[in-house]
Amino acid sequence: MLVVRAINENDLDALYSMATQVGTGMTTLKPDMQMLGDRLATACASFAETIPPEQRDYMFVMEDTSNGRLAGVCAIKGAVGLTEPFYNYRIGTLVHSSRELNVFTKMDTLYLSNDLTGSSELCSLFLHPDYRQGYNGKLLSKSRFLFIAQFPHLFTQKIIAEMRGYQAEDGSSPFYEGLGRHFFKMDFHHVDDLTALGKKSFIAELMPRQPLYIDYLPKEAQEVVGAVHKSTAPARRLLEQEGMHYEGYVDIFDAGPVLQARVSELRAIRDSDLAVVSPDTDMTHACAPAHPEPTLVSNTILKDFRMIVTQATPVNGAIDLSTLDQQLLRCHAGDTVRTLPLNVRKNNV
Amino acid sequence: MYVVRPVEAGDIAALEALSAVTMPGVHTLPKTRDKIEQAVERSLASFAAQVDIPSEESYLFVLESLSERKIVGTAAIFASAGSNGTYFSFRNDVIQQVSRDLNISHSVHALTLCSELTAYSQLSSFYLDASVPEGPAPALLSRSRLLFAVQQPQRFGDRFFVPLAGVTDENGGSPFWDALGRKFFKMDFLDAERTIGGARNRTLIVELMPHYPVYVPLLPGDAQAAMGQIHPSGEQAFNLLTEEGFEADEYIDIFDGGPILQAHKHALRTFTGSQTLRVRTSLDAAPAEGPLYDYAIANNAGPGFRAVTIKSAELEGCEAVALSPEIQDILRVADGDSVTCVRL
Repeated sequence: MLVVRAINENDLDALYSMATQVGTGMTTLKPDMQMLGDRLATACASFAETIPPEQRDYMFVMEDTSNGRLAGVCAIKGAVGLTEPFYNYRIGTLVHSSRELNVFTKMDTLYLSNDLTGSSELCSLFLHPDYRQGYNGKLLSKSRFLFIAQFPHLFTQKIIAEMRGYQAEDGSSPFYEGLGRHFFKMDFHHVDDLTALGKKSFIAELMPRQPLYIDYLPKEAQEVVGAVHKSTAPARRLLEQEGMHYEGYVDIFDAGPVLQARVSELRAIRDSDLAVVSPDTDMTHACAPAHPEPTLVSNTILKDFRMIVTQATPVNGAIDLSTLDQQLLRCHAGDTVRTLPLNVRKNNV
Repeated sequence: MYVVRPVEAGDIAALEALSAVTMPGVHTLPKTRDKIEQAVERSLASFAAQVDIPSEESYLFVLESLSERKIVGTAAIFASAGSNGTYFSFRNDVIQQVSRDLNISHSVHALTLCSELTAYSQLSSFYLDASVPEGPAPALLSRSRLLFAVQQPQRFGDRFFVPLAGVTDENGGSPFWDALGRKFFKMDFLDAERTIGGARNRTLIVELMPHYPVYVPLLPGDAQAAMGQIHPSGEQAFNLLTEEGFEADEYIDIFDGGPILQAHKHALRTFTGSQTLRVRTSLDAAPAEGPLYDYAIANNAGPGFRAVTIKSAELEGCEAVALSPEIQDILRVADGDSVTCVRL
């Protein structure tokens, strides 16, 4: 059985071995014992609430309880850009028009911005290849929304997620080749590594400070502005179903889109409900609908937050969880849990 | 023998014939009879005007072959560029990219739309007929404008610039334009030049051209290569001007990327090296001792300006220059009059 839970001090070795599987492109999860150790310490302090909300970094792991392996990881940062600048390009519009010549030109323009400073960020999602099946990806990604729905006061109004940008077959980024390379004179992967080491703002400071007309970029670069990496497309769809959307902010290196949402507009906030765990009896089984929908269920304890996906469905403020589910969530009959349908409700009208 | 003099009303037909053979896209001469007439009238009025502060004056000079009694070249100078507006150009900026942390240090070029050349005096319309041989005549034509400026400093600015036509292909296309201006104007280079009449002072330039720096490395290779490159027809002018002391590289034209040469007058040889001498009549044609040099020599007669070249011994330190009666005749000077000389 799989459970997504708050990370704890004992997860470091397993986290490291998972980080070795990640490969390039994921800057926040590099196999570096020092970095991971620091991050784990921050995460533990976050769940223990010993550091202020804007410094927190809530990391969650997906554990396979049958063998104790870690199957995946994901995280929410309390706020970005408060210790070092957080840069994006905002895509703006400039109109050049001359009545005299009857010329009207609308130009898309990249503005270097720190607009997203202070937003909470979804990041570091990784699911081990052995577990890429069934509801696992959804469980891992959506678990964070349930956490936010349970503890909205810990987050800022705006939540963002940076998606990996488009890469060519050979792993190069057409956007980087068309723009960043001229200003850094180094390989994309080298820049990526520096970003992982926390030097992203150093690099950003070398970016052109003035707005850039997208029309001046090579065609290949223009075409991938706001486009995600092939393997990131499913993750993007998941986040969009949860209420996040692209509003014209992109990464300064690979032009991958930033998805964003107001916390209050997230599906998890609108559609999740609290339910009381019913005793595991035949009676309640009998009340269950004939065709149950998979449901995300979490406990309501910050320090030991746990989530599962189950076939049980809440009915009239009560949910019938099996003993095993209750064990996974470390809850008992009479406890309150938060529930959210795993899939977006289809409109049947 | 060639003489440079202000254009006269009688030169209009000759100018029209000259303009018929100039290259497309090279804005040296007005193309239509109406425009030529306007240019000549404006020049006559400018020479006649009493000027305290340089403004809209435009002085047009012609090179006349005395033996053929024929106009074989033109050269002009505007008192104040962008009159009635702003003269726009691209400034070639260098941005230093330095990060000690990352051990990065290099420079990136960027083009910024600027109006710094406004109110400079502008040399333009330099055109020579193919029949004019190499030698002192082309230099005389180019220099005469500046000799006039030396004599009449109140008519001109302290700084001068010269835009030279950029590179175009056989169809009149410009790679620089295609990469830059076309994106904003949405028309061909020649159409744009025709529409705007070669002007660089129009409001529509501000309306349409990029307000933010254009980073050069982002331009296609052929556009980058065309930056600061001169049209082959401008090579002679370029060489004459750089010898004079003009410097390229800092500014380029906003349409075709051609170089804009500029200098403070104190950096120009005509200003620093010219001297005012009295005329002395030399009757014997025997050459003086020592080596002979080409000199441009001009009377100081305002609207009656005349300049020719002579061969003379070193004039440095002299108070007078010996001129034959024939030369005095052309220059319309007499023994004792003062003339302005500069070695070519």
